Amino acid sequence: MDRIKEANRAVTTGIDDSAVKHWVTVYIMGKGYRVPADITIMQAMEYAGYRFVRGAGCRAGFCGACATVYRTAGDWRLKTALACQTRVEDGMFLVQIPFTPAEKPAYDIEEEPADGTPLLKYFPEVARCVACNTCTKACPQDLEVMDYIQAALRGDLAAVAELSFDCIQCGLCAMRCPAEITHYHVAQLARRLYGRTLPVPKHVLDRVEEIESGKYEDEFEKLLSMSREELEELYRKEQREKGGLNSRDASRVTRNGQGER
Amino acid sequence: MAEELKLVRGYPEYMRKSIERVEASRPRRLEEGPPPGMSLEEREELLKKYHPDYAPGGKRPLVAGPNKGEVAPNEVADLLEAYPLLEPGELELKVDFDVDILILGGGLAGTMAAIWAHEQGVPPDRILLATKLRHGDSNSIMAQGGTQAADKPYDSPTIHFLDAMGGGHFTNKPDVLKALVEDAPFIVKWLTELGCLFDRDENGEFVEEWGGGTSRPRMHAARDYTGMEELRVIRDEFRSRGFGLLEFYPAVELLTDPKGRVAGAVLWNMETDEYKVVRAKAVVLATGGFGRLHIRGFPTTNHYGATADGLVLAYRAGALLRDLDTVQYHPTGAAYPQQIVGLLITEKVRGLGAQVVNRDGEAFVFPLEPRDVEAAAIIRECYDRENCLVTPTGLRGVWLDSPMIEEIHGEGTIERRLPAMFRMYQRFGIDMRRDPILVFPTLHYQNGGVETDPWGRTNVEGLFVAGEVTGGVHGKNRLMGNSTLDCLVFGRRAGIAAAEYVKGKKAPQTVTLDHLKGFVEELRAAGVPEERRSPMLLPDYRGKRVLARMIDLL
Amino acid sequence: MSDKAVPSSAKASAAHHNASRVTRHALPYFPGCALKDQARGFEDSARAAMAALGYELAELPRWNCCGTVYSLATDDLMRHLGPVRNLVRVQDLGETRLVTLCAMCYNTLARSSRFVGADPERLERINAFMDDEADYRGGVEVVHLLELLRDEVTFEAIEAKVERPLDGLKVAPYYGCMLLRPREVGIDDPDSPGVLEALLSALGAEPVDFPQKAECCGAYQTVSSPEIARARVGEIVSAARWAGAELIATSCPLCTYNLEHHQVEREERETRHASPVTRHEIPILYFTQLLALALGVSEDKLGFAGLKFDPRPLLSDRELV
Repeated sequence: MDRIKEANRAVTTGIDDSAVKHWVTVYIMGKGYRVPADITIMQAMEYAGYRFVRGAGCRAGFCGACATVYRTAGDWRLKTALACQTRVEDGMFLVQIPFTPAEKPAYDIEEEPADGTPLLKYFPEVARCVACNTCTKACPQDLEVMDYIQAALRGDLAAVAELSFDCIQCGLCAMRCPAEITHYHVAQLARRLYGRTLPVPKHVLDRVEEIESGKYEDEFEKLLSMSREELEELYRKEQREKGGLNSRDASRVTRNGQGER
Repeated sequence: MAEELKLVRGYPEYMRKSIERVEASRPRRLEEGPPPGMSLEEREELLKKYHPDYAPGGKRPLVAGPNKGEVAPNEVADLLEAYPLLEPGELELKVDFDVDILILGGGLAGTMAAIWAHEQGVPPDRILLATKLRHGDSNSIMAQGGTQAADKPYDSPTIHFLDAMGGGHFTNKPDVLKALVEDAPFIVKWLTELGCLFDRDENGEFVEEWGGGTSRPRMHAARDYTGMEELRVIRDEFRSRGFGLLEFYPAVELLTDPKGRVAGAVLWNMETDEYKVVRAKAVVLATGGFGRLHIRGFPTTNHYGATADGLVLAYRAGALLRDLDTVQYHPTGAAYPQQIVGLLITEKVRGLGAQVVNRDGEAFVFPLEPRDVEAAAIIRECYDRENCLVTPTGLRGVWLDSPMIEEIHGEGTIERRLPAMFRMYQRFGIDMRRDPILVFPTLHYQNGGVETDPWGRTNVEGLFVAGEVTGGVHGKNRLMGNSTLDCLVFGRRAGIAAAEYVKGKKAPQTVTLDHLKGFVEELRAAGVPEERRSPMLLPDYRGKRVLARMIDLL
Repeated sequence: MSDKAVPSSAKASAAHHNASRVTRHALPYFPGCALKDQARGFEDSARAAMAALGYELAELPRWNCCGTVYSLATDDLMRHLGPVRNLVRVQDLGETRLVTLCAMCYNTLARSSRFVGADPERLERINAFMDDEADYRGGVEVVHLLELLRDEVTFEAIEAKVERPLDGLKVAPYYGCMLLRPREVGIDDPDSPGVLEALLSALGAEPVDFPQKAECCGAYQTVSSPEIARARVGEIVSAARWAGAELIATSCPLCTYNLEHHQVEREERETRHASPVTRHEIPILYFTQLLALALGVSEDKLGFAGLKFDPRPLLSDRELV
């Protein structure tokens, strides 16, 4: 255990200078800091002494809290990144945008028609899109943002859902858009509307009804009255006979994903 | 450090030899399948020897509070046996917000509680959700692999029950577990009706995958963004209903009435240092887990705010905890590159067929054992058999043979079913369709917590709990896909139960911090040093050099 | 959500979405937003009609909204990005011609193409801004389907393929503005156009001439000042009716909207051509629907369901459906 603890020290506590071999300089809101070369922007800011209140969330690229805008040395181009997923570069000139001012309109999804019309109703600014593609360039998830806004414009819910699915709502697109669209809100509504065009699969409806009608009550009564040994025995039997988990041919389990039935 | 080593497609050259061996053995391994699953006895033996929970020195008995004498990890005990951040005597407790239900925590569980309390008839302006970071910042949003629900004909809630029991070493609370598995299909139906986009096949039915320890495939996923999809849909619904919301306002202490019933909380604005007093007829605690405590020095999959705050607050108010002696280490956390060490590599990768392979290219364990067993097996391979890779920073790891997924399910599967992971590795120059990925166990889940009944009620009146902060439903080890389910099912139940509880009740007459008095005395009597304070609120990763030179002048 | 491929996470290159292989009789085709939504019948009937004539309308991959007349604001170069990006898509396919159906899209794309082509500096600045695309080199010709039918397919060829002659159906051809003005992009003489009449004759219908056939329907005034559209539509429809029209043929979803929507409200108002028949609803069809009908396309592909005034009673009287 101690060996594991030792090996992970840099990640679990602050970075120790003695372990660092290479350094770079990054500029955090204009101030230069010498930081270890091989870390993320987020780790670099912490190394430099910032303790995040805003600007850190999941630290794994899922929540969009650490949206960062930056330039690299000698390049006029504006770039975007997630601080937790991006390595520092020497000469990086950065700032964080932890919040995008964008109120979401309230709607009752059950009252809205499951087609494209609510999109223009709640977000008429979508029609201001000039197809400049700045949103796509700003997206740290490499999504084709303009394309999904264009799909929203013509009411193609399926295309919006497909193209916007991996959106983590970091807000960089909305901050950069000259037409002042709030793309991720449009996409969220579109996805929900699209979801409502897809019926709940029958097998789910059937099972819900079965449970509500008490189909499993007797079985559960038995289970809840069993001793630990009895449960263990039943578990062994279940896993061995029906699910195939203890079977030698476990490739059956993983190959078709369906197991035996 | 990477500049010294020559990288070939993202990996240091010296790792390439091992990767070649993995490639060489792949056709045979695809044909033969992995080693078979272990028997219950074999699992127990492995755990005893290699699982961090069993290694000595990591835990100690608590010296104060409702669970005095019971064992908890040191890092958790340090927080449970600690003095409040506030000076109870010096704080003016004039009420700023008066609500029926105060919800602490903005993940899946907290959001569900709000919506369902509203469904039960509590007006939205009488419900306040306070969260430490943003609404949505939680472990929930990072959940990748799926949500279990026994909704296919070949499956049933009783089988789901058994699977979870087995995974939990038969220590799960049966009535609570029954609620979990019985509500699951309804939750899936309800989410779908809200517009949640679970993966479907060409026939429109849900694609359901295997998980570790399950005897049927029943994992509902939305690519590998399952938690994010579920949470953003219910958060969108939350935002349309007009609830009170306070962000960056963690609770730093619960409030009680003179009878010891929970009556609200003291919230602290992390940006302005101002505190606010909330009086509530009921409090729903949905504050999540404790990964940022880095138990036993492990890296973690958890979000920035997972610091066990809720556990501490509930404990001080007299809530009974359970199963604190177990901690879930996810068997596959990223081990390379350094920038993503500890991050979750979802079990779905194994569910889709990737085998766990050592340095020599051999699959050494059945890939879908329950998580504790799987983690122990990897630790054994790395630190006992030493048949592992060592990264440039000294971490050890084994391979997860992701290219197998493309072989089994067809080209394009990884991009389609695991886009988040594919994207993450691409950012660091690694193509997981072509090369295996390096993994090692990482601190992942709080199996235990505040004990609850099937409706989220605790032994403290007025206190409801839901989600990762609770204990009992998963026993001593949680199965994949049961955590998001836990949050959804018990978030809903706690919301309903809290709504029922507050009906016809008057607001608490007085709010006090008196429940701290007895607890503090217990700590002093046990000799707990005064400097120890909790809740932690945020972990500290600032560079040591900077910390050594820091002075607080404002 | 069906289990289908997601776009790859690498930044997309210009033409990777379902780029149709453009074959000899496949025409790069720009639908425009309305044809995917409220004017689906226009596209469906056009596709079917062109198929009957041996052509494929190959939808341009990753096309975006043309921006309509707002894109033509000459003091705002940025607005030409929308139209020009579509021309780049055509260029990426190695093609030089883009076929449109919607008169508004035709007009916008054609005029934008001329605008950026007229001044090399404009083109350079647009290309420099669109650093995520190949440079637009100019030279893509924007063509309206009527031009294609007239000049390439020829009305004679069409006449030869007619299976269901329209039996002398009296159709008033309504051009609106966008097909004819300004002169540089007009497909016909703005004072006295005849292309729709020629097509209608080839189909066996009887084109009905009327003075308002090239007058504005009111266009976007319908949103902010609907009384203007109402007045215009009143004049147009009653003039057509007065001339004996049983149907009106158009080529623009906005014209169709106005002609349908304001026709009903028109009921009791005064017009220059006061006629007791102005109260009767006159169906507004896209010219492609008549083309498809005459070419023998089955009824389900004619898109009649989306129309406000159902032409089917009239057509079935004439045994055309």
